[in-house]
Amino acid sequence: MVNEVATVISNYEIASNYWQAILKAPEISRQAKPGQFINILPIKSWSKMMRRPMSIASNEHGNISIIYKVIGEGTQYISDWKEGSKVDIIGPLGNTWPEFKDEYPILIGGGVGIAPILYLQDKFSSEGLKHHLIMGAKTGSEHFLEHSPDEGLLLTTDDGTIGVKGTVISALEAIFHTPSDIRNYRICACGPSPMLNAIKLFASDHSIECFVALETMMACGFGICQGCSIEREQNSDIGSSYREKYSLACIDGPVFQTNEIKNC
Amino acid sequence: MLTKIDLLNHTFKSPILVASGTFGYGDEVAGLIDVNQLGGIITKSVTLDPREGNAPPRIAETSAGMLNSIGLANLGVKEYCQTKLPQLNKLETKVIINIAGYEVDDYVKTLQILEDHAGNHAGYEINISCPNVKSGGMQFGVDAVLTESLTSEMRKHTKKLLILKLSPNVTKIEDIAMAAEAGGADMISAINTVVGMGINIHKRKPVLNTVFGGLSGPAIKPIALANVHKIYKVVSVPIIGIGGIATAEDVIEFIMAGADLVQVGTANFKDPSIGLKITKGLEPLCKTLEVANIHDLKGTLEYY
Repeated sequence: MVNEVATVISNYEIASNYWQAILKAPEISRQAKPGQFINILPIKSWSKMMRRPMSIASNEHGNISIIYKVIGEGTQYISDWKEGSKVDIIGPLGNTWPEFKDEYPILIGGGVGIAPILYLQDKFSSEGLKHHLIMGAKTGSEHFLEHSPDEGLLLTTDDGTIGVKGTVISALEAIFHTPSDIRNYRICACGPSPMLNAIKLFASDHSIECFVALETMMACGFGICQGCSIEREQNSDIGSSYREKYSLACIDGPVFQTNEIKNC
Repeated sequence: MLTKIDLLNHTFKSPILVASGTFGYGDEVAGLIDVNQLGGIITKSVTLDPREGNAPPRIAETSAGMLNSIGLANLGVKEYCQTKLPQLNKLETKVIINIAGYEVDDYVKTLQILEDHAGNHAGYEINISCPNVKSGGMQFGVDAVLTESLTSEMRKHTKKLLILKLSPNVTKIEDIAMAAEAGGADMISAINTVVGMGINIHKRKPVLNTVFGGLSGPAIKPIALANVHKIYKVVSVPIIGIGGIATAEDVIEFIMAGADLVQVGTANFKDPSIGLKITKGLEPLCKTLEVANIHDLKGTLEYY
């Protein structure tokens, strides 16, 4: 973990209100692994006190990237970053996706939750590891990838304008209804809570290992503020304990196996 | 040294300490800053038994601040002594251990366990002001009689610095401060967070699971300054000013209002090295204000 002053290489809209910022951050780049995140200072003014935690979406040649939507004031400031701007980031933070041996990866990203999924996919592609990737969005204009079912890349839209009509679960079901010899699927997903909860349920119904990267409110990003609590499934109220009932997304996560946690 | 402070047989490298709950146990930030350059570190509240803390959501951003309702999540004093004290003992900066509890017995037992472990810590900050836990010491913090009896009970068990951390969520903070002094407190810390609330109108829900939480950050600085100044007028023990400090100028304001030392809290989340940056900024300010030592500015506020 370092506090690095990164330089903005580029920052533009890659799909309808989906932005990607590429940052030159050699030290964080050197340390980072798929699944990890950075904690970004959107603005120096004391009018905004909290950093914004965001997953690393790519990492090559000393450059890392983030993918975000402009939702509130913080992300508005981030979208105003110009090429060459200096930005204060802390990272890499959190844990990583599990190691894959002979499991077959199904990667699922919903909305900007695609970020840590793309970083993992980069790793698989460079290792030549065969996998499926599903990305879900509300409508076609929010997609920046190409729907290519033959290459295992399925896009979904709620309105059917691109790819599979429906949610990522529709694409997941399509994969499972296609005859295959693959038995040991493992899902890695990131996205909005309702989507992750649906995937958690699907995985449990089909007895598939499933890992999710969770997003929560966070102040410090490295275990101090205790703000990013995640309720665990094995909640055997033992009276007095610490981090048995609640894990911290920043240091125990952001990647959790879905059977460990109550809700996504 | 313009910013070195000698107080109650202790030398603080600078008047800048970091507030409980915003700097962990000093080890988490090891890769980011040199903790030993700080005036001191107040560690995260420790209780007799481990605590899970409150259900999420626990934090939210506000204008120039944040709301929190962590609920004193911590590893408990036994684990603290085993895993945290040994590394805290290695620090050169002043270590002050923040203790929270529910009743006098909890506070005293926690203190005794800490006293039984050979620690290099300078003292204890007693949290009688956590707004986020049902009877999280708060019944002491709003009652002068209880504050005095808790303080005098704690006083019997330690010769180290005994600091009472007060809440602004009271009718008259002067009464509580005088009670702490009468009970034998060496210093008073003020203020803890201010009770606050936020609402997510789309979800029709409070932003915090517990509905109410503690507001901190620059938003509360004027409230903190007023409380420190009120306390300064009625006690003679040293005061540690806390509340929204983010700049060297803020520190001078607190010292002029009557503080001897200050704690930087929420600003650490934004910039973990802010304490050191502020310290650097103090020297030129002391020169501008023409004082040989920053402590000479204590209570030098002039009324109209």
